[in-house]
Amino acid sequence: MSALGIVGGVLQAALVVAGSPLLVGWMRQIRARLEGRVGAGVVQPWRDLRKLFRKEAIAPAGTSEVFRFTPLVLVGSTLVVAAAIPFVTDASALGPGADLFAVVALLAMGTATLALAGLDTGTAFGGMGASRATTIIALVEPSLLMAIFALSVPVGSTNLASIVHSALRNPAQVLSPASLLAAVALLMVTVAETGRLPVDNPSTHLELTMIHEAMVLEYSGPDLALVELSASMRLSVFLGLLASLFAPWGIATSLDPVPLGVGVVVFAAKVLVLGTAVAVGEVFVAKLRLFRVPELLAGSFLLGLLAVAASFFLSRQP
Amino acid sequence: MSEALYVQLLDLAGGALLLTAVVILWRRKLTAIVRVFAVQGFALSLLVAVLAAHENDPTLGGIAVGLLVLRAGVLPWLLRRALAAAGEEQHETRPLVNVAASLLAAAVLVLIAYAVSQPLVELFPSAASTAIPVGMAVVLIGFFALVTRRHALSQLVGFLLMDNGITAVGFLATTGVAFVVELGISLDVLMAVLVLYVLASRMREAFGTTDLDDLRELHD
Amino acid sequence: MNLVAVGLAVATAAGVVTAVLAVVVPSRFHAAVSGIGTALVGAAGAAAGAAAVLGQPFALSLPWVLPLFGVSLEADPLGGLFVAVAGGAAATAGVYGIRPARRDSGVRATSVVMPLFAFSLLLVPVASGVGSFLALWELMALTSLVLVLTGRRRAEAVEAGRWYAVMTHLGLVAIMIGLMILVAHAGGDSFAALRAAAGSVPPAIAGTVFVLAVLGFGSKSGILPLHAWMSRAYSAAPGHAAVLMSAAMANLGVYGIVRVGFDFLDGARSDTARWWWIGALLLGAASAVYGILQAAMSSDLLRLLSFSSTENMGLILAGVGAAGLFASSGSGALAGLALVAALLHTLNHSAFKALLFQAAGSTVEATGSRDLDELGGLRPRMPGTTAAFGWGALAASALPPGTAFVSEWLLIQALIHGLGASGVASSVVLPVAVGAVALTAGLSVATFVKAFGVGFLARPRSDAASQATEAPATALVAMGLTGAACAILAVLPSLVLPGLGRVAGSLTGAAGTTVDGAVTLELSGVAGSLSPLVVGVGLLVAVVLAAGAVRALAVRRARRAARLWDCGAGPLTPRMEYTATSFAEPLQRVFDNVVAPETGVDVTHPEESNYLVELVEYRRTVPDRIERRLYRPVLALVSAWGSVGRRLASGSIHQYLAYGFFVLIGLLVALAVTR
Repeated sequence: MSALGIVGGVLQAALVVAGSPLLVGWMRQIRARLEGRVGAGVVQPWRDLRKLFRKEAIAPAGTSEVFRFTPLVLVGSTLVVAAAIPFVTDASALGPGADLFAVVALLAMGTATLALAGLDTGTAFGGMGASRATTIIALVEPSLLMAIFALSVPVGSTNLASIVHSALRNPAQVLSPASLLAAVALLMVTVAETGRLPVDNPSTHLELTMIHEAMVLEYSGPDLALVELSASMRLSVFLGLLASLFAPWGIATSLDPVPLGVGVVVFAAKVLVLGTAVAVGEVFVAKLRLFRVPELLAGSFLLGLLAVAASFFLSRQP
Repeated sequence: MSEALYVQLLDLAGGALLLTAVVILWRRKLTAIVRVFAVQGFALSLLVAVLAAHENDPTLGGIAVGLLVLRAGVLPWLLRRALAAAGEEQHETRPLVNVAASLLAAAVLVLIAYAVSQPLVELFPSAASTAIPVGMAVVLIGFFALVTRRHALSQLVGFLLMDNGITAVGFLATTGVAFVVELGISLDVLMAVLVLYVLASRMREAFGTTDLDDLRELHD
Repeated sequence: MNLVAVGLAVATAAGVVTAVLAVVVPSRFHAAVSGIGTALVGAAGAAAGAAAVLGQPFALSLPWVLPLFGVSLEADPLGGLFVAVAGGAAATAGVYGIRPARRDSGVRATSVVMPLFAFSLLLVPVASGVGSFLALWELMALTSLVLVLTGRRRAEAVEAGRWYAVMTHLGLVAIMIGLMILVAHAGGDSFAALRAAAGSVPPAIAGTVFVLAVLGFGSKSGILPLHAWMSRAYSAAPGHAAVLMSAAMANLGVYGIVRVGFDFLDGARSDTARWWWIGALLLGAASAVYGILQAAMSSDLLRLLSFSSTENMGLILAGVGAAGLFASSGSGALAGLALVAALLHTLNHSAFKALLFQAAGSTVEATGSRDLDELGGLRPRMPGTTAAFGWGALAASALPPGTAFVSEWLLIQALIHGLGASGVASSVVLPVAVGAVALTAGLSVATFVKAFGVGFLARPRSDAASQATEAPATALVAMGLTGAACAILAVLPSLVLPGLGRVAGSLTGAAGTTVDGAVTLELSGVAGSLSPLVVGVGLLVAVVLAAGAVRALAVRRARRAARLWDCGAGPLTPRMEYTATSFAEPLQRVFDNVVAPETGVDVTHPEESNYLVELVEYRRTVPDRIERRLYRPVLALVSAWGSVGRRLASGSIHQYLAYGFFVLIGLLVALAVTR
């Protein structure tokens, strides 16, 4: 664990916590403008969080510790991931243990915990959301691992810092067919994991279609604030991961304030651009039926596999 | 053309060929399928054009132009006409194997294609021949579509996919089939498409659909 | 002092004495005596196994014990590892089996056989001759069969016993034929002789032996296609016996495959071996996916856990197959890594499966039901058991900071780094294997979220569940011990990895350790590192930070109890909860083609009108498709033969004697003609 890694980790965690609600606000604002509405403004998510933190916490009848601790575990696991992925600096706060598989599995752990909390309430909504969410993560896992596999082939490692370094050293590698296919596969996975359209509609409250919202229906007050915060953090972490893996330029490699500042600004800009792209894309698509989602994920699995195959299918660069 | 650029373009064309085949398997909307098929025709002609530029072979360049006209122009146009005549049925509604499963099958087919085309690759080791598995995969995916699709038109596209794949393998393996051979094959394909096109319209007149399973009624 | 010898001697003495004592003590105490004795056997065995892994030699030959072969024992690191795991499992199963005198202590036969079963599990991996191995294997099979037959629900136990008896003996026949072929080739019964002749076995014979070994040993581990006994036997057996069967006996199938493949057939060095290793890898991957799919669909808690065993054993077999594939194509470091992954997963699976079966056994005992659709709401009533099952579920679902995560990570690392290791074969097979392992990991999350969330959280779905009482203290202690073992394996796998590296090295010929480092695991030979301890601590710190931030920021008021959101339509009843069946429904639809569920909906209308609905009944069963497709025809064939046989057996003594007479004459004539 290097000093750079620790500084970067703290910086990244703070940045993700502070910036994620703004990212969500920004994306909502873009959607609103494109749909011809005025929108609530970029800082609205922060206002909502402040409001929720001022409310009292409630314990719905029959729920256990699982329900109560889930928001903390969600935020905690996302924080660890935010500190571990090289967003701002090229060293990780977890040191050599920052493995892509571990990071992704930590995020899946958060989803599984939330599903348990949904089941813990004992309501039909909670169960429905939990069932759908676990179905989706079960199917996302193969595509995700295949995409990671494809990324690791040219680098020879699944260590995050190694992948970032390799892309920094050899920019042409990012434009190889394998890397592009993996990027598309990872983008689909990101959409599924963060509950965006066309897999889940983040702004729906219609029983038949909701996934994430169904699981968190019983939360209120500070608990709900934590759940909402962690959902937005997940979004920025996933977008940041995409940015770091496929466009790692601008990442700080030393402890000087200037590169660090550049790293922060570039990271924010990259996530903002990706978020804008996702928001614009969402305007044009409708939510898929739940039973069409496997098709999407099978497609993303196939792309991941093609990305792996491309490394030995297509001729190597001479 | 520099060697690096040649390889990069070859990769690009090969990747596009494979990707379009996969997308054809993925989509249900027939108009989209035809559009993607046209893109694949373009990718195929790009592949041949790259080979032509690398070999400095004007005949090959001519073939590339011919392929572009036929595969990206004439055939999609014919398909689109057939589709317009088909009326209501614009979707491949119930393929025999569902879409998710056919995508997974495509994944397996790609790996099989890689395994079986190794002897061919080793026969002519070159940058071009490394991409032979791509052509082989397109052939297999086309065959798969031919077997599992119900709509006559998407079966037709499957057949054409196979043909695209065969053409690609031919050019990648020997870098230059004799012009006459390619001309003959292309004419054959054109004839086959026309025959199937006529068959499909006759079927529609007889049964009101182009679902090939209805042909079983002839047996009874 | 030779710890191996002492440990095994103590285990033997404790096993025999306990069995005798369990026969004679008053019926209130036999379970306690048997439990303490089994725990002793296990602890002694664990010590002996650990010593053998660390390299203590041990050999013993007792020619007078069995006719023809005698008994010969020898401990090497590989055998020692499995002895240690079996010992650990027996220790916790023993403690779990101790029942306070006032509780119902079950059937006496269970208590008598349990220590003997534990004892046989310890001896199978140290047998060093084919005769002794087969005899001990059969002892293990018979004692476990008795345990299955002593299960509480008679009809089910008898049915399960029948399945188990037939299939375990089919497996035994396969193993016996395989080993006998080798013995005939080597000209000696001892393992040393087989090893010496390993290099000269012709490829065709080696292939046959390997296939037979995978079938026979795989059946013990629940590998496809001979897995059908497993869910029945595990569900029918008494709780502590199921713990021992799942956590120790299933491993011995892996032991057998590794022993035959790497040791007797020299699969690590012969080039022709590559094809059977690929076969093993694919069979393992298929078992893993099929097992977890069945588990994900299952609403029966014990059946779910059994099929999860099939899944984990499949992953282990995939790791072993990958190790063989790499070794036979000359990548020693990768082979060592894959084998270490497989062995670590064996260890991890034993730990978390023991924990899960203990918790599930207590649950079934407390509620009388193992149908998840009737459980739920156990958290306030059985807090210890709920915590144990929750921890076990995390350990089993390949998520950090759980136990299985580390071994599955190692397995995936071995698979992805092996992409180019052996040419075309590996570049086609390994992506498929990675996909299968990943799908398995994803589905296991869904499975265990279902098992824990529906089975233990929310509100009770039946009267039995709402009147459950906590398991006895001994069971809780056992769960605590097993849970601690899971925790240690999860965050500090570096404690056991050097030992596993030594075992793997002795088999694949990989030099040195394959995984280094105390806190951060560094793979040697390939680039990769993981630090489960740092991830775990980081998670803890982050959660504490978040909790602190909430305390600082949020308004400090006590939590207010509130009603659940019921759309204003009155309180929700437990019948409105999601059940395990409904939870699995989306996955069932996705994998409709694979699992082929049978569903039926019956709508009952009141007499007055067909437009009104009185009752809707939904039924779903997910039959074991392989069982149906493969076993039914075989069973039909067998029963057809049986009816032919019945015609021959008319009941007339004269006819039977005449059969003997005709056969004798026929043989004599045949001898005379062929001479």
